Amino acid sequence: MQFDWMKIPYALLTLFIVVNFGMILTALVAKIAARVGRRRGIRIWQNYADLFKNYGLRSSITHGAMFYLGPVFRLTGGIGLLLFVPTIYGSYVFSNLSFAGDLILALYFIFFGTLGMALGAAESGHPHAAIGVSRGLSQVTTAELPLALAVFSVALQYHTLSVTAIVAAQQGGIEHWTLFTNPFAVAAAMLAFLGSMMRPPFDVVSAPQEIPIGPPTEYHSSYLAMMQTNRAIFPIAKIVVYMNLFFGGAASWPVFCLKVFLIYMVSVFIGVVFPRFRVEQSIRWFLIWALPLGVLAIVLV
Amino acid sequence: MLSPLYLVAAALAASFTLGLLNPKRSGAAYAITLVTLAFMAWVPAGWLWGFMAEGAQPVEIYTAGALPPYAINLRMGLAEAAMTLLITLTGLLSALYLKESLIKLGHRGMAVLMVALMAFCGIVLTRDLFNLFVFFELAAISTAGLILLSEDERALSAGFKYLIVSQLVSTFLLIGILFAYHASGTLNLDTMASARLPHGSAPSFALAFFLMFIALVTELKPFPANGWALDIYESAHPAYSALFSAAAATASLYAVDKLLLVGGPGWYPMATGIGITTFLAANLFALPQGNDRRLLGYSSLAQIGLILVVLGQRDLLGEGTPFIAFGLLVSHAVAKAGLYWLSGLVGGRSLTDWAALRGRPLLVFAFISFVAMLTSLPPFPGFYAKWELVRVLAGEGRLALLALILIGALVEAGYLFRWFGYMLKREAPAEAVNGEPHQVVPVYVAVLAGWVLGYFWGELSGVGLGHHNLLLSLPLAFALGFLLLDWLPAWVKNTLAITGMVAFFFLTYAEYDPLRLIFALIFLIGGAITLLASYDAHGRRIGFYPAAMLMYAGMVMLVRANDSFEFFAAWELLTLGSYFLILRGKHSEPHALSYILFSLGGAFLILAGFALAAGGAAQFPITALGQVAPAVAPWVFLLLATGFMTKTAAIGLHIWLPGAHAEAETDVSPMVSGILLKAGLFGLFVLLMAMGKQRLYGVELTHVLLWVAAFTALLGNLMAVFQEDAKRLLAYSSIGQMGYALFGLALMNHLGWLMALMFVINHYIYKSMLFLSVGGVAKRTGTREMYRMGGLIRLMPLSFIAVLIGIIAISGVPPLSGFGGRWIFYNAILASDYRLPMVILFLAGPVAFLYLFRLIHSIFLGQLKDELRRVKEAPFWIALPQMLYVGLLLAFALAPGLALRRVDTYLNLFFPEGGLHWEGFEITSDYGYWNPVAIMIVVAVIFVSLFAWLLFVNRRAQKVKQFNIVFSAERPFRPETTHFAWNFFAPYRKALGFLVQPYATTFWGALTDFLHTAGDLARRLYDGNGQSYALHFLAFVVIVFGVGV
Repeated sequence: MQFDWMKIPYALLTLFIVVNFGMILTALVAKIAARVGRRRGIRIWQNYADLFKNYGLRSSITHGAMFYLGPVFRLTGGIGLLLFVPTIYGSYVFSNLSFAGDLILALYFIFFGTLGMALGAAESGHPHAAIGVSRGLSQVTTAELPLALAVFSVALQYHTLSVTAIVAAQQGGIEHWTLFTNPFAVAAAMLAFLGSMMRPPFDVVSAPQEIPIGPPTEYHSSYLAMMQTNRAIFPIAKIVVYMNLFFGGAASWPVFCLKVFLIYMVSVFIGVVFPRFRVEQSIRWFLIWALPLGVLAIVLV
Repeated sequence: MLSPLYLVAAALAASFTLGLLNPKRSGAAYAITLVTLAFMAWVPAGWLWGFMAEGAQPVEIYTAGALPPYAINLRMGLAEAAMTLLITLTGLLSALYLKESLIKLGHRGMAVLMVALMAFCGIVLTRDLFNLFVFFELAAISTAGLILLSEDERALSAGFKYLIVSQLVSTFLLIGILFAYHASGTLNLDTMASARLPHGSAPSFALAFFLMFIALVTELKPFPANGWALDIYESAHPAYSALFSAAAATASLYAVDKLLLVGGPGWYPMATGIGITTFLAANLFALPQGNDRRLLGYSSLAQIGLILVVLGQRDLLGEGTPFIAFGLLVSHAVAKAGLYWLSGLVGGRSLTDWAALRGRPLLVFAFISFVAMLTSLPPFPGFYAKWELVRVLAGEGRLALLALILIGALVEAGYLFRWFGYMLKREAPAEAVNGEPHQVVPVYVAVLAGWVLGYFWGELSGVGLGHHNLLLSLPLAFALGFLLLDWLPAWVKNTLAITGMVAFFFLTYAEYDPLRLIFALIFLIGGAITLLASYDAHGRRIGFYPAAMLMYAGMVMLVRANDSFEFFAAWELLTLGSYFLILRGKHSEPHALSYILFSLGGAFLILAGFALAAGGAAQFPITALGQVAPAVAPWVFLLLATGFMTKTAAIGLHIWLPGAHAEAETDVSPMVSGILLKAGLFGLFVLLMAMGKQRLYGVELTHVLLWVAAFTALLGNLMAVFQEDAKRLLAYSSIGQMGYALFGLALMNHLGWLMALMFVINHYIYKSMLFLSVGGVAKRTGTREMYRMGGLIRLMPLSFIAVLIGIIAISGVPPLSGFGGRWIFYNAILASDYRLPMVILFLAGPVAFLYLFRLIHSIFLGQLKDELRRVKEAPFWIALPQMLYVGLLLAFALAPGLALRRVDTYLNLFFPEGGLHWEGFEITSDYGYWNPVAIMIVVAVIFVSLFAWLLFVNRRAQKVKQFNIVFSAERPFRPETTHFAWNFFAPYRKALGFLVQPYATTFWGALTDFLHTAGDLARRLYDGNGQSYALHFLAFVVIVFGVGV
């Protein structure tokens, strides 16, 4: 196999664009959410400020080897996920490293960061971190289920697991999008999407508003910076998968930005309206509302 | 060859001589007795040798120089020689055993013993009805004498009850003989049989036969007319009970057999009915029995009932009847005599008192040999007999009888193995075993005889049916060799074992097809790697190596089996070996019992399945499963699949696994989990390769399997989530993983099977590794409860690395090998016809994260406990195989093609469509692609660069103290209250806990409770009152009369 070394700078270019887009997008979303609550919200470049500050800080403490690895796992998961999926349809430059594996690779790589982060947080010995992990993993078992079913349904629909081929099959007009050809799969997947975006009603995992709880509890300075970087990349990487599977992919960066923004906003709209579920409630919610949609999707396809 | 008449003459002469002897010279009398008995054994031994080796012909001996019917005749044939030898040898050994007792009783006791044996021999030899009656009378009187001479006070009443019964028997027999003589004009059995009047045409003869039949069958202690026999077994001296159970029963059985010749096939169903009822009832009643000798009594009744069934089936069995009947009879006689002799060595009468034997490994070996003989396990004669019996019964469609026999046998195995468990695991009584040499020698002779007979039956089965003699197969011989080497230190035996396994693999690897090669690799090389951990054990480790090697031998023989017989024998061997291994755990007694019962139940299903498939053919190649007649094929499939699924612990049949795997020793858990479970999968592979899809009442059975597999995966994983015990967690995880593998198989497509193989390999590697590391941790910390641990990462880094790699692999996250399994899984389900079962499996996937995280977090991360601060890394020999497994896992993750490519091609034979394409490092399917090396490189590059950077910027960071954290406005000071570990997934239990209600456990528990209660209620029938027993006899007569005449 001949490896094209130019793929590496190209992949880094994608990464660079997505990091910046992610920083601005998350800030924008935070601002929108604040405005809904009649607050001013953060400045649009606040994320940059935080990031630079945190990268600039030098920590003098660590809880051990695994504690180190937590953010590394997390960010590797985010970058890996982004790079294993082609970003722009039809572009060689932005096809990234998708030769390494297909949709299944992307689907399972989502967990890479989660698992590693959970391990790192646990080494801190902080009970709140462990509680957060316990909640997060519990929730993910049923939240991911509709997505898995939707992916299965889409793969059945297009007879392929290749992301590029799935996007190719959706070209030629909005009516070819999976959104319209396989609406149940998309509905199920979008409910799963809510569960994975760490927004209400499914954000009890890190309970960001009231007490510092959840996996990142003990992380600070450059550890935290790494996780903040990931927070900019990972949602976008995930949305790219959604966009490619269900919303026709993107053939250019403007379309990419628009679609990613709109998909992101789905979780924001719901998040600002609904209060938070407890873990067992969200588990039941996914089983009762999202699972049947997923089942319908694989039966009807 | 000496005339058989010497059997009678010698006993009589010696008895009279004893009478002339000075009563004070009991020593001399005893010597005369022993010499006489030895001589009596010598006579049939010579005949047996003559028949077997020199081709001698049976002889008839006529008394008074005239031919029958004017004289009586005795016959010495092969059967007679074997039986009289069995009787006289039992007598000789019992006499040896009874040394003190006989010398105390004096010459009268010895004379009675000799007369009894003479009478038993006479019953076997005679062909004359009246003569038979005479010998029965002699036998009754002398047996009663022996019972009454026992020291136990209860023997007095037992002997009296026996006298009552024998009088009834005599009366019936005598009247029957009178009528029979009246109807046929002869007393000679053979003349009477050849002149047999058509059934029903001569009412007087029918009645006569009925009376004789009742009389002789009553001697076999049929249900319900057998309370008297139980009282004898319980109260008589064990040596007499041995005689009673082995010798008297042999004689009576042969008498019934001879009588059935006269009665003709019309009476066969009656014999079968009585036999099977007795077999079932006696085994059921034995279940709640706590007294050892009474338990053995029940078991005797059951075994004799089973042989009566065989006699009743002689219309089907034909020429094979002696092979089967003798196989069961000698197993019963040798084992029962041996067990009764053993019971004399044990002080207490409760089953748990047998724990006293534990200090004597040879006696333990004797005990388990006897139990294996009684439960018809290989390589003993009963095994060959059982196989043959089941084969013929299934071939002729007598399935109800077959089912009843197997159910009864399972119950019997239940109480016998429970007893064995008590012996090895219960607290030993203070009183040690008082084994004088003359008491121990008969036991050893019995064991030796059992093994020799096993060899002999193997040869017979080879001559008659073309089977291999199991004892001659190299793996089994190698395993049994460790019995002789058990005095060596453990490390020497371990080296031998590893060398043997590796050598055997290299000698034979060219003989396997690619699929079998994978299993052979796991069993032999994988087994050898796991055995490295056993170097950690010190001392001699008595019993470990024979058991372990028996299991491995069984697994190798399974892979190499060509026909159903070899396959089944291998299956039973590996089951037995693994049972011994599991039983070695400290608290594993109930779990090992549950394991062996489920396994034997599964084995019986497999046995029935093979027999049904063979349709009566003696040789049945495994590949012929594909040509089974369509009418029975789905049933065969169902039986075999269910049988194999007991081994893979499919949901509902899984309840044995968690305890068995968790309570096993540190190096045993990886063997029984990582390696043994694959035997079940191998069976399923073989089954599906041969039989493919089957439909039963329109339902596709592989579709059912798919659902079972999906629920197994989900529920296994869910149950693992809620475990506090690390090894139990891993055990439940195995259930889930086996569910995945089964699912792949049931998909019935190319990639599904490849996925199953992927799980076979992966599960072997990571489960062996995890069980070793968790075992090492448990060894160092002294607990398996995860919440008692925590923060061990620094103290046990190697174990931590093993667990870390293991959980990443199991979870299926790239870049490790678990992902390959998931990738193939997705491709496989896309090609499948079914979709709904996938929903369950999709749910099962992420659930695995829960227990995996809990495993690593609760043990290695979080807060270190004060009492564990000095814990050291796992011992070298436990850590070494873990590191090897880490290497293996990484290698398999990078180059799955090394193991899978050839199999992928091989699977084209079964599914030409849908294979994978291997090109360089890239693997493509019809749907997608996967490049493990590229994934590994990408992930590694990103990971390493981020890690290096973080290390660089934080190079001056120092590790903070354990409690340098703040939460809830407090600074913690106790690790116990800070380590969040117990009931880790409480919300999850709230949400989905209802799914893990132990319905299966409740069901099986209720079933065994029901059997116990039923047995306990019903055995109150035997209240010890002679009048009740007379009533039982009457009821028996009335029932037989009502049904039979």
